[in-house]
Amino acid sequence: MPPVTRKILIVEDDSSTAAYLAKGLAEAGYAVESCADGRDGMFLASEGIFDLIIADRMLPGLNGLAMLGAIRAAGVSTPTLVLSALGTVDDRIDGLNAGADDYLVKPFSFAELTARIDAIFRRVDRNGAEGQPTRLAVGDLEIDLLARSVTRQGKTIALGAREFNLLEYLARHAGQVVTRTMMLEKIWNYHFDPGSNVVDVHIGRLRRKLEEGFSAPILHTVRGAGYRLSVEP
Amino acid sequence: MIRLSVTARIALLSIALALVSNLVLVAFVWRVVRDDAIDELRRDTIEQSDALVAVYRTGGLPALGRTIREARTPGDESRIVAVIAPDGRLIEAVGPGLDGFARWPRLGFHIRALGSPWSDREAGYAVRQIDSYRLVSGRMLDDWQEEQRGIERALAAAMLLSLALGIGGGLVVTRYVGRRLNRVADVIEGVAAGDLSRRVGNAESGDAFDRLAIRLNAMLDKTERLMSELRIVTDGLAHDLRSPLARLRAKAEAAVLQADPAQREAAMGGLLIETDLVMRMLSTMIEITRAESVSRDRLAPVDPATLIEEIADLYAPVVEDAGMRFEAIVMHGLPKIVLHRELMTQAIANLIDNALRHAGQGGEIVLRLEGEPTSARFQVEDRGPGIAEADRAEALRRFGRLDQARSLPGAGLGMALVEAVARLHDGRVELQDNAPGLIAAIVVPISR
Repeated sequence: MPPVTRKILIVEDDSSTAAYLAKGLAEAGYAVESCADGRDGMFLASEGIFDLIIADRMLPGLNGLAMLGAIRAAGVSTPTLVLSALGTVDDRIDGLNAGADDYLVKPFSFAELTARIDAIFRRVDRNGAEGQPTRLAVGDLEIDLLARSVTRQGKTIALGAREFNLLEYLARHAGQVVTRTMMLEKIWNYHFDPGSNVVDVHIGRLRRKLEEGFSAPILHTVRGAGYRLSVEP
Repeated sequence: MIRLSVTARIALLSIALALVSNLVLVAFVWRVVRDDAIDELRRDTIEQSDALVAVYRTGGLPALGRTIREARTPGDESRIVAVIAPDGRLIEAVGPGLDGFARWPRLGFHIRALGSPWSDREAGYAVRQIDSYRLVSGRMLDDWQEEQRGIERALAAAMLLSLALGIGGGLVVTRYVGRRLNRVADVIEGVAAGDLSRRVGNAESGDAFDRLAIRLNAMLDKTERLMSELRIVTDGLAHDLRSPLARLRAKAEAAVLQADPAQREAAMGGLLIETDLVMRMLSTMIEITRAESVSRDRLAPVDPATLIEEIADLYAPVVEDAGMRFEAIVMHGLPKIVLHRELMTQAIANLIDNALRHAGQGGEIVLRLEGEPTSARFQVEDRGPGIAEADRAEALRRFGRLDQARSLPGAGLGMALVEAVARLHDGRVELQDNAPGLIAAIVVPISR
């Protein structure tokens, strides 16, 4: 749970989606405010009191990306997650280029949304802290980002370059759920869904290296959502 | 409506052009043959008439009569002089055929036939008023003057003729243009009415109309292909969606009826998997339709070796986990190719998925990048049953279409995407024999 209640603005014209989002996010411990069109969204967002904006791309009044552009032009850098029914690769890239911090295609699973919100907040917090860490530790797992080496209980684990990137990403979000599409986007820079179980296979290999010969599992599968690197089961 | 007015305009234009060009010709001929003979005749006649008037002023009618009679020279039949009384009676008359003047001629200078028996010959004469009499004096036209008059008449006739010809020519041109345009218009009307198979026929002379026809035909070919693809995709979607939706429904029903919480949970998980499958099919379909109209600025120069190595990196573990060998054979040193990185990756990934599906256990999948002088081949080779040579063309043609017997859903859409992506890059899809197995390649031109 966040130490201070984070405020999230939802700009979504479809009332059932807005209600679903508001209910889910409120249950997750966020303070939520909603509005139904781009112009109102822009005025509310300009106050700069929100920690996150979740905006639909197609909105009455002012479309989501135009609203985002206006907010950014006004000097408000509140992180923004764009939701859209437009799901092609180019649509996603357009959304990110327009200044969105993340982009999620409707329909989405709530687990995917919360995982991405957590990732955004984690990134914001990290930017606030001074300096970039050179070492990451998750329980008995230690990752040296400079030497690009991994040890668990003092034993060195040899990882390929891609496996290391995957582990680093999971470790940066330790304790949080990381979804398959998030990994595809961040590790492989692909914005399409390759369909087969490609991410699962890579995770499977990484998990074998991290857990074989050790008693406690550390890379957990979160059913219906993704994966979590954590000492707690 | 618009067509009519355009043809009318063409007709008017060609008539005007015929008229103008003929007018220029007539004016030219007129200038060349024009002689001052007629002007001279007019001058002479008026001079003579002035002299006679002067005689009348000094000596009256008798002196005039005398002068006229003296002026008559034997052998000269061309001179005409007459004095006409107010009642129309001829007082003095010299010259042939003056019977026609037993009337009251109009004042001024005239050139016209005098009447029988010289009706075929014209005379130039001036008519003056002296007191209550009318003085007629002039001369029969000589041969040259006659000829010149003839030319004038011919030119006038030519003018009329050119007007008629202009109208006639305009109508012919209009009919010709109209007929050829109508052939195009008929095709367009047919297409608008829904018959996409219509084309403008026999274009061999290569004129502007034929070029129009060729362009139109090419456009219709593309439109027809896009339409049929759209139909394939929507048909395919309807077909492919049916089974996962049916499973989804069955599983949802089962989950609702499930009393045991653990089993209920498992059933719910199955629901999510089926939902994701349906969603993936939808997004593939959107990608296919978008790939047909991706703007060029989405494409960027990409090193093909890097592209293939990234795919190999992603898929090698997947293929190996499926119990097959995976090998990436990459030719380095190829120039960068202007590509849509994600769509091309997705297309190649689809080929690998297909190979995974068909190659079976213990097989081998090779991902190969090869450069040819003007093109690059992204190639996926498997050791599965392959496709018989006779069926390959058919398979390519049917790529977008759905294999009714196919057990796994989504492959038809996947191959339709491969086709669409190849076309987006001005490339093509090729199928070859891997003896045994299938080679599926996306071939794209290197420099564009």
